[in-house]
Amino acid sequence: MSEQITEEIVAVKVSEESCSACEVCYSICPYEAIKRDAETGKAILEIEKCQVCGLCYSACPSKVIDTIYYDLDSLTGYLERAKQKHDSDTLVIMCKGSAPDLAGIERQFGVKKFIPLSVPCVGRIPVEVFLKAITMGIKKINVLACDEDYCRYQRGSPIEGRRIAALNILMEQLGYGTEAITLKRNSLKVQVKEDLCIACGNCVYYCPWDAPKLVSPGNVKVDMDACHGCGLCVSMCPAFALDLDNWEKDRISMLISQLAAEMAPPKVLVFCCQWAVFPSLEDEPNEHTRFIYLPCAARVDTVHIVEAFHTGVDGVLIAACAEDDCKLEGAGGKTQRPIAALQKRLGEIGLGEQLHILTVAPRYPEAFERELLQFSKKIAGIQKGESA
Amino acid sequence: MIVTTQKPLDEILDFISPYKNILIVGCDGCTQPPRGIREAETLSQLLDLGGKLRNKEFKFKVNTLVKQCDSYLTAVALKDMIDDDVEAVLSLACGLGPQTIVILYPQLPVFPAQNTVFIGAEEREAGTIEERCAACGDCILGLTGGICPVSRCAKSLLNGPCGGSQNGKCEIDPEKDCAWALIIERLEKLGRLQDLEAIQPPKDHQAVARPGKIRP
Repeated sequence: MSEQITEEIVAVKVSEESCSACEVCYSICPYEAIKRDAETGKAILEIEKCQVCGLCYSACPSKVIDTIYYDLDSLTGYLERAKQKHDSDTLVIMCKGSAPDLAGIERQFGVKKFIPLSVPCVGRIPVEVFLKAITMGIKKINVLACDEDYCRYQRGSPIEGRRIAALNILMEQLGYGTEAITLKRNSLKVQVKEDLCIACGNCVYYCPWDAPKLVSPGNVKVDMDACHGCGLCVSMCPAFALDLDNWEKDRISMLISQLAAEMAPPKVLVFCCQWAVFPSLEDEPNEHTRFIYLPCAARVDTVHIVEAFHTGVDGVLIAACAEDDCKLEGAGGKTQRPIAALQKRLGEIGLGEQLHILTVAPRYPEAFERELLQFSKKIAGIQKGESA
Repeated sequence: MIVTTQKPLDEILDFISPYKNILIVGCDGCTQPPRGIREAETLSQLLDLGGKLRNKEFKFKVNTLVKQCDSYLTAVALKDMIDDDVEAVLSLACGLGPQTIVILYPQLPVFPAQNTVFIGAEEREAGTIEERCAACGDCILGLTGGICPVSRCAKSLLNGPCGGSQNGKCEIDPEKDCAWALIIERLEKLGRLQDLEAIQPPKDHQAVARPGKIRP
C-alpha cells in the first residue's frame, strides 16, 4: 500500500528548476500548501495540504505549475469543441459551488443559448482562457462565481473578481467595450417549508453555522447569511421540510431515474462530493456508470440511496472528502452515520454489500478511478452470482 | 420522548405479505428518532425491494400524521388516507399508534413497524438515546438529585448502590454509568447527602395501576 502511495500520480506539480521565486503562488494559496525553499526562495508544494483549487496554477506568471485538471490546453480545447457543439458566441463560466440549473443561468444573464464551462471554482481560470475565448470569436463572457464569503476555496472567487475587473479595463482599451466580461455572484441556500416542520431540531443541531433556529414548535427560521448551502440539514430533516437550491429532493430524484434509465446493467450510480472528485470537461461516460455531483457529501441523502436501488441501480458508491479536506466545516462527514444505518437495513434484504462509502481527494486523481473500478467489478460479480 | 427501534424488515414483510394495498403511516409526534415522512418513504422502498425477493408486489400509499396517539387528530387525518382499497396499515409510531388506528378502523389489520423500547433523552453528540424515565407514577427525582434510579439503575434500587457498582460503572454493563454513583456525586456537590439518610420504603408499583387511566 505504502509503495502505491509513493508512485501515485498527483494533481498539481511545481517545476522547481524553472520557478522564478516570485512567491505569487506562496502568497495566494489558501491552504499554506506552498513553502519557499529557504535558500533559493523557489516554491515547494506540499501535496498533502493541497486542495487542488487551481489558484496557484492560474496565477503563476512563469507557468511552472502543472495541473491535471482544467489546464490551459484542456480548457481551450474544450472551448473550441463546445463552441461548435452549442453553436453560440456566448460563454458562461460558472463555479460548480454556486451554479444553478440552466434555467437559473438564463435568469441570471438573460441568455438562452450558451457555451457552458462549469468548474470547481472559477478562480482556477487563468487570464489566457478569456483572451483565447475572445480571439476565437466569443463575443460575450458571463462569469458566475460564488458570493465571496461563501467561496469553498476561500480566495478563488475574490481573486477571479479582481482578475476580471483588470481584464475588463484591458478589453476596453482594446476596443471591446466596457463589459466584455460580466461577473455575477450567487450562492446556494436552503429552502424552508415551515408548514412541514415537525420541530425535531435536527437542523439546529447539525448546521455547522448555527443558521437554523427553532423559534417555537414547528416554526424554523434560517439565517440565510449564515447558511452556506451545504445541504446537511436537508439530508437530516425527517419531515422533508428543508430543501436546497438547485439540489432539491425532487430534482435529484428525477436525475436518478433519468440516469438509471440510461445505464446498462450492472448499473453503478456514484454520488460525489464535487470537491472530492473532479469530472473531466467532456466525459465519455461508460454505459454502466453515472455520476451525481453534489455540493457536499452532506447532501448525500439516504432517501436517494434507497431510491436508486428501488429504481434498478445495482450499486451505489459515495465519494466524500476526508474530514480534514471538507470545504464545509466537516458537514460532509455528518451523513455517514445515517448512511451506515441504512446500509445495515439494506443488509437485511441482501443489498448491504452494494453500497459503499469512500473518502477521496482530487489530489490523487487515480485513487478514485481505482476504487470505482474495484467497486464496479464487485457489483458485476454480485450480479453474475445472482443470475447464475 | 418515546424511543422506538425499527423492526427487522423480514418481520414486517411477514406481517404484510398477505396484502397488496398497504398504507404506511409515519408519526410526527414525539417518537425518537423521528418516524415521519422520510422514514415512511424509505421503508416503503425497502419493503418493495424486500418484496421482490419473495416475488411479492405491494402497492404502498405513504403518508404521515401529527401524532398517532391522539385519536381525534388521527381520525381526521386518516379519513383522507384510508379508502376502500387499503387492505392493511403499517404504523411507524410507537405502540400507541397501531392501537389508536385499530379502534378507528376495526375492520383493518394494523401492524407495527417499530419496537417501542423506553422513554428516553437524546444525547446528540454521542449519537445515543438513553432511558431516563420509567413512568413509575411515583417520582422520586426530588430526593435523588434529579437523577432517576428507577430507570437508570439496572436493579431500580431506591436506597443506594449495590455491591456491583465499580468505579462509577454498573456490573450489568460496564459501559453504563451506575445511577447511584451519579446520584451520590451530585448530592455531594449540592451539599445534600443527608437526603439519602431516610430509608425509602419498597416502591409502590401500583401508584398507577395497570392499565393506567386518568382524567387530567
